[in-house]
Formats: sequence, structure tokens, C-alpha cells
Amino acid sequence: MIGNLDLSFFNWELVSNFLAKGFYFSIQLTLIAMAGGIVFGTALALCRLSGRPWLALPAATYVNTMRSIPLVMVILWFFLLIPLLIGRSMGAELSAIITFTLFEAAYYSEIMRAGIQSVARGQVYAGYALGLTYGQTMRLIVLPQAFRNMLPVLLTQTIILFQDTSLVYAIGAYDLLKGFEVAGKNFNRPVEAYLLAAVVYFVICFSLSSVVKKLQTRIAIIR
Amino acid sequence: MHLEWGFFLRDIGDGETTYLSWLFSAWGWTLAVAGCAWVLALLLGSVVGTLRTMQVTWVARLANAWVELFRNIPLLVQIFLWYHVIPSLIPPLRDVPSFVLVVFGLGLFTSSRVAEQVRAGIQSLPHGQRHAGMALGLTTAQTYRYVLLPMAFRIVIPPLTSEAMNIIKNSSVAFAVSISELTLFAMQAQEETSRGVEVYLAVTTLYIITAMTINRLMALIEKRVRVPGYVGGDR
Amino acid sequence: MIEIKNVSKWYGSFQVLTKCSTSVKKGEVVVVCGPSGSGKSTLIKCVNALEPFQEGEVVIDGTSVGAAGTDLPRLRSKVGMVFQHFELFPHLSIIENLTLAQVKVLNRSAEAARDKGLALLERVGLTAHADKFPGQLSGGQQQRVAIARALAMDPMCMLFDEPTSALDPEMINEVLDVMVQLAQEGMTMMCVTHEMGFARKVAHRVIFMDKGEIVEDATKDDFFGKPRSERAVQFLSKILQH
Repeated sequence: MIGNLDLSFFNWELVSNFLAKGFYFSIQLTLIAMAGGIVFGTALALCRLSGRPWLALPAATYVNTMRSIPLVMVILWFFLLIPLLIGRSMGAELSAIITFTLFEAAYYSEIMRAGIQSVARGQVYAGYALGLTYGQTMRLIVLPQAFRNMLPVLLTQTIILFQDTSLVYAIGAYDLLKGFEVAGKNFNRPVEAYLLAAVVYFVICFSLSSVVKKLQTRIAIIR
Repeated sequence: MHLEWGFFLRDIGDGETTYLSWLFSAWGWTLAVAGCAWVLALLLGSVVGTLRTMQVTWVARLANAWVELFRNIPLLVQIFLWYHVIPSLIPPLRDVPSFVLVVFGLGLFTSSRVAEQVRAGIQSLPHGQRHAGMALGLTTAQTYRYVLLPMAFRIVIPPLTSEAMNIIKNSSVAFAVSISELTLFAMQAQEETSRGVEVYLAVTTLYIITAMTINRLMALIEKRVRVPGYVGGDR
Repeated sequence: MIEIKNVSKWYGSFQVLTKCSTSVKKGEVVVVCGPSGSGKSTLIKCVNALEPFQEGEVVIDGTSVGAAGTDLPRLRSKVGMVFQHFELFPHLSIIENLTLAQVKVLNRSAEAARDKGLALLERVGLTAHADKFPGQLSGGQQQRVAIARALAMDPMCMLFDEPTSALDPEMINEVLDVMVQLAQEGMTMMCVTHEMGFARKVAHRVIFMDKGEIVEDATKDDFFGKPRSERAVQFLSKILQH
């Protein structure tokens, strides 16, 4: 029963021995995958909107394939394929970083595409009318507006990404959740460990999404 | 790379089951987990989403808290909560099969996302619709039942389609609590046969086929309930 | 029939209605006009409590709208309302729009409701469209259906909230014709509208609102003949220019 919960094992030793490493990796994975995913995702979005089939088609296929496979399966695929391709095994952590970057790019690209399309067509015409090229129009006029429109959605996707990092469980990488699990086994308190994990994830994600919500209202006012 | 599919017809060591039949039974488990969780998510999500649009503040707050709770904890952690934590806190649940626990985990997680869509659907309707129902003397419940919800559900079919496709994908986390669904099959069969690429290809194909089928099915529903002359969100 | 006594309403700290008082007698047609943002739409929605108000009282046929024990759905079923944006239910056919509340609120049989609905459709000249959906009709047709929908409840009075301001110019008259006919038959009506031609033709009284206050409440002849307030004069000059 609830009375049997013993949280006394939660002390500095637990944090430094088990959680810090996992937390550090979860954050690292989130940030790298976000940065890489947004860059690669924007490129994918521009390819899809370029109007050139030889660019648009491969990009669309890539995005749609990634989006129709469960993330766990994608993690397993990369963990299996990368060693086959490079001829030697690679750590679960590094494999996860590559996987998440390439996987998240598909999701970020859809957000960017919607963002670019949300910028009024007239803005593009105005850019062309001033003599700007396609690249200049995108870089100087459309993308800055799209990015601001899409900032809340991009950040929400990043919170989802942070939650999804827990799925590296499938290949045994040592992330925050793994830290809690190992700690639970070590102290023989698995129930408390999972409960604490839920609380920690909730606090992080809830605070971040509250920030995003605030940002959203601010952006709405500016517009 | 050289692919070899022959092992699918080999038995897995128990003398009767082949890898192929195991694959299909795993597909069945995936469909069962996702299907049951979807029913649960749709029911709970519709109720919670509707309550969020109520003009009674505490009801709306409670419904919002539900959404925030299930949206801000990773699905895998929620599954562990249902599997490891809840049965040990509530002893009568100790004998509940893990299938049921996973269905609840996945169902409640998805319910918060369905609720969000349903709320958005109701709030996207012009405010006058609610007034028009009330002005005719309909009660609040009748206004929802006959005026707001029929339109809101039509509007949210596209986002619900992606949620339905998501739940198939998300059901893959059930591997973590030993439900013998597609992803667990993929991991175990890969280990046993060392034909990972073939195993993963088969599993991935089944996931994609399932998602496509749902997509077509929902498109069919959307077409069936389409309102003549109504173009979404005009005016 | 309708008594509005000292009604005040705030959105947060912003006051939208200030001590509004007026009344509509049985068989009377009252037109409410005023610049946009003057609170006229809010006032008419306070009459059947679609908008709550914080102070004052609205009494319809002896029943206080804001009182705690009032059965609002029952009261509203006796007060017809027509909205600026028609607010037909898009997922229901025209005839279903007319029968829904008859069956669910007044407990009429499906056949009785249908007969009533068809009779009213005939009256507004739309019998042929009974089985179409709102999205397939023009704005003017939709608004005539909306009037028929309100009449199907056999209301004791009708509220019109800018019934023609969302319509294309060529459709305004078909709606006004129905309203004029109603007025001439003796229906009690409170109409928020800028259609001064309509007011001249059938109104008994005209109310002019500005900044949440009732500035002028006069008989039609007084209002158009010698409006007393500067604001009403200005408003009339703007609206009658064209």
C-alpha cells in the first residue's frame, strides 16, 4: 500500500551515482537531435516545397517512411544497420543520437513545411518583385516569419522528443529512465524508483510546456 | 546484401509454431492492444474533451488536469507505472493480466490527446451555434448532443485519424512489459535467427500496412458523414 | 411582455452595459440601433440570458430571467431568436433544423413537428429546399429558414440580432419582407438592426444605444422627426447618407 512507500533512498548519492549520468545523456540526446533535426528538417521541407520532383519526391518518401514506423522500430533498425554498414559495432548511445536526429528531422520538416506555407503567398511575390532569388526570398523573408510562427510548435515537438528519448530503453542506452531503473534495482525499491521517474519527467515536461504556452500567447499578441 | 526468407517457415523450437505464425500472432497482439486502447481513449477522450469546454470552471479545470497529467509523462514511464507501480500500490490489481494494464496505460495516454482534439473541435465551432441551441430552449446537454458534438466530431476526424495511426505505432512500447506484440517479436526473432534485416522488414511492413488500412478506413468514414455544402471552417 | 430594468454588465472590469432600462409591450415592434460596440447585441442577448448580466433584472411575461430558480431552457423556448450569422445547424437538413427543438424541447411528435416545419417553410417560400442542407442555401435563404426555425416553437415574442448585416445587399430584402409580414401580423419583436427603412415601416419605438447606454428611447415619429441627443443625430446622418 501507499504506506509502504519508502523514499528514504532518495538522496544525493542516488542522484550523483545513478541519475546524473542518465539525465545528462537524455538532455544531450534531446538537444543534439533538436538542433540536427531542425537543420535537416528545414532542408527536407525546402526540398518538398521546391517544386522540383527530383528533390521533392525523395524528401517526401523519407519523411513519410519515418513517420509511419514506430520510433522503437526505427531505433532497432539503426542499431542493427549501422554496424552492418560501417563494419564495427557502435555504442547504444551514439546510435541513439544518430537515430533521433534523422528520425526527428522528419517531424520537424512537417512543422517547418506548415510554417512556410502559413506565410502568405503575397510575401513570396513581394520578394520576387523586389528582384530577390528563390533562396534569398526564403532566407530573408519567408523563413524568419515561418520560424516565428512555428516556434511554439517546434518547442512542443522538442518536449515530445525529450519524452521519446526514454525509448532508448529498447537498445539499453543509459538515459534518465535507465538511471531510475538501475537505482531501483540497486536499492531494491523499483516501485519508488518508477514513481519518482514519473514525477521528475512530469515536472520537467509540465514546466517546459507552461513556458511554451506563455510564449504562444506572447507571439499571438505580437502578430 | 543477401536476403533470405526461408527461416520464416522453420519452427521456433517447440515443434509446431513457425516464425511466420509467430509473426502473425504478434500482429494480432499489436492490433488487440492498439484496438482496445483506442476504444478506451476515444470514450475517455471525448468525455474529457467535452468537459474542458464546459462553462463550469471546476469541471473544466479537472478535465485540464487530466490532460496535463497524461500528456507530460513519457508513455514508456506510464506503462511502467501501470505494470510495476499500480499493482503494488493497489493489491487487488495484482492478478490483472499485463495486457489489460498496457491497454489502460496506452488508452489513458491517448485519451489526453483525443481530449485535446475534441476540445479544439468544439471550440472551432462558431460561438453562435451554442447560443442558437440554447435560444431554442435546448438544455446544455441537449445542445452538446444535437448541435455541438455532431459537428465537432466531423471536424476532428482528420486529427483523430493521425491519433489512430499513432496508437498503432505507440503500442510498440508494450514490448517493455513482455506483451508478445510485433516489436517484441522483432527483438526476439532477430536474436534467435540472426536474420535481423528480414525480421525487421517483415515487422515494419506490417506496421505500415496497418497504418495505411486505418488511414483508408477513416477516409471512408469521413466521406460517409460529410455534410453536403459544408466546407470545413468557411465563414 | 419584456421588461428590462437597470441592467448592467461587465466583462472583467470593462463595463459593456450601463443601467439599461426599457420595455416591449405585447404586439409592439421595437428597433434597437447604435454604432458598433454600443452594446446593442449584448443587450438583446441578455433578454434570453444567452449573456449573463451582473446587475438589474429582465422579466419576460412575468418570469425573471436572472432569478435562481428560473427554468431557462423552458423560458428560451418561448422566445424566438434570429442571429446575425443565421446559426443553422450545418449537419442537419433544413427540415431537421426546424423539427429538432420541437421534438426535443416541446415533445411534439415527429409528424406534427414535420407538418409544422413544412407549413413554415412554405410561408417563407422555401418548401422546395426542405431536404437540402444549410451549406447548400444562399445567405438570404438560410436566414429565412432561421426565422422559420424560431417560429416553429410558437414563440410569444421574437428577438432579432442584426439579421441582415451578414447578408449580401441583394438578399437583404427577402429577409426584411418576412420580418415586415411578421410585424404586421402583430408579433412582439425586438430587433437590433441598422435597416432604418424597416424601422420607419413597422417599428412602434426606436431605441438608440451608445457606449453601453440607452441614449434615446422614443416613438418612431419622435426619433426620426426630432432626435434629442447629439449622438443620435450624428448616427442618423451617417447611416442615412447613402
